[in-house]
Amino acid sequence: MGRYDFRALRVRQTARALVETRRDPALPPWYKIVGDIPPSEILSRPVQRTPRVRGKAKKPSRMFQPLPIAYPEDKLRSDFFNDHPWELARPRLVVEDSGNDAKGYNWATIVQPGKQLDGESVVQRQMWLMKHKAYPKALAYDTARREFYKHRHLEDVRRRIAKEEALHVGAYFGKGPLEIGMELEDKSFENWKQWAAQQIEDEQQMRAQLFSGPVNPEESAPPEVEGSFEELPETVSAPR
Amino acid sequence: MILRHLAARNGPRALARYASQPQPLRRFYASDVDGIAASADNTLKQLHSLEAQINQATGDRVPSLNPETAGEAEAVSASPLSIVEQYHLHQKQKQVSGHLGSDIAPHYQPHTLLTHPPSPADVTLELLLASEAHQGHATSLWNPANARYIYGIRQGTHIISLEATAAHLRRAAKVVQEVARRGGMILFVGTRDGQDTAVVRAAQLAKGYHLFERWIPGSITNGQQILGRCRTKVVNEKDEEVPGFEEQLWDRPVLRPDLVVCMNPLENYVLLHECALNNIPTIGVIDTNADPTWVTYPIPANDDSLRCIQVIAGVLGRAGEAGQKQRLEAAERGEITYRPAQGLHLPEVEEAASSSAHEVVLGEESIEDADEVAGKLEDRDNHDGRKQGHRIRISA
Repeated sequence: MGRYDFRALRVRQTARALVETRRDPALPPWYKIVGDIPPSEILSRPVQRTPRVRGKAKKPSRMFQPLPIAYPEDKLRSDFFNDHPWELARPRLVVEDSGNDAKGYNWATIVQPGKQLDGESVVQRQMWLMKHKAYPKALAYDTARREFYKHRHLEDVRRRIAKEEALHVGAYFGKGPLEIGMELEDKSFENWKQWAAQQIEDEQQMRAQLFSGPVNPEESAPPEVEGSFEELPETVSAPR
Repeated sequence: MILRHLAARNGPRALARYASQPQPLRRFYASDVDGIAASADNTLKQLHSLEAQINQATGDRVPSLNPETAGEAEAVSASPLSIVEQYHLHQKQKQVSGHLGSDIAPHYQPHTLLTHPPSPADVTLELLLASEAHQGHATSLWNPANARYIYGIRQGTHIISLEATAAHLRRAAKVVQEVARRGGMILFVGTRDGQDTAVVRAAQLAKGYHLFERWIPGSITNGQQILGRCRTKVVNEKDEEVPGFEEQLWDRPVLRPDLVVCMNPLENYVLLHECALNNIPTIGVIDTNADPTWVTYPIPANDDSLRCIQVIAGVLGRAGEAGQKQRLEAAERGEITYRPAQGLHLPEVEEAASSSAHEVVLGEESIEDADEVAGKLEDRDNHDGRKQGHRIRISA
């Protein structure tokens, strides 16, 4: 507990010791390999940040903890998505093709081949405008944002026209998600109605059984209203 | 059943022939105009004609649907095009119309990591990045022993340094290659869901062994009880089985791996502990929450991404493949790169039958020249029959 076990790292030394003490007849086949390619150094912690020397001497802390990674786009990204929170709800493709996907993009235009138009496009376009056109941040943001709105609108138009054309030449589309959802809801409601009717019927039968025959002829007078309601749940649950 | 398969195979060819000839197109669907009986008749006729064409196109006969109509069906089939002509027609059509349609740029196809795994030379930081090898766990889950491999913190998770990943992966690949070259037994282990295909593929390439279900605890430390009944076989230096050693193999100790490659060390602590106890080197994928002291050669990478695991397993499998190739090439030249199994004596029958077939005389043991310890051992071991380059393998 709390101790390091270095047996896995010291296989070579152990193998040699075993052979030298004649507990093993021969060296294992990997003996020379592990000598040629030794295991790497582990458990060493690189110093990530040094404490301040000037000024008031602080007790060094978090010296070995990794540092946060920050990029200039981060602020722009958070600005855009704060202004357009529903952009985060759109489905997004996150699988990289080769790892070099971003190298083929030229943000002189906001639309890139092979990349869907989304908030990231706005951020990159804004970065490009700030860097190459020396736009101030707000102007670059507005420019990129307007281009984004325009292309979103064009996408919508394109989609609508495509649907109209397809319908014109005889395509038909199935039910939409809302219709399917309504159907499922209707079905559940019908099931519930059936179940509720059954429950009511059971309840009525039970009540009829309860009041059908007076147990004692002397007490056959109509029971009090409060008493009957109090007794009802108990008598219903008793036969189960 | 057979008919349907053949129809699926030869359908395009049949259609191409229809398209090439100015004969009236056959209807393949009964229209509303036909009555039910007529349409059924039509369908049967089409079936028979299709069957006849298939019979004509392929060499082997397809049994007819109705034996009475078999003669009639043969009469229908009279096609002027031979298979060669059909092939050339198909090529011509492909030339004419193959470029039509959209142009698909090269993109990521998940199966290619299994069918064509990358070799150690193909490991780039971009490949590792695309396969999400850099994604670690939440910062609160980290094991500080991994501080060396961590590049930084991004959105509350540790990012593994891809340079460290690539360096350690290449180093591990070299180890796998050398162990395979020296005829060591390599076990690939990946017991998480979805890792089985990658592990099996790597084992196939490296001619090693794979484990994708639970590791039975004690398979090394208590191997005689757990694996004692597994069949083993003796192979020569060209990996051909040499029969006749069955009696000698009965009372031999159970085989142990010489190298264990573990894709998910967190779930396989028992395996790694047994390997450490028994002095077996291990290679493991160490995420930011794993303990790097469990394995001999850690590969800092994301063990939760199947793509990353496929890349790593593929690279190690390719390395093993290269090592096996080197070993077999050396065997072709008459060199044995490994230490043959000790204490095996040639069976009498085998000796009479084909002793010269697999007998290779070793010049010098090349394994132990690394160290002077080996020299001390060498003269002690000279009395057994290790001139033959025999090894023992587990046979499935």
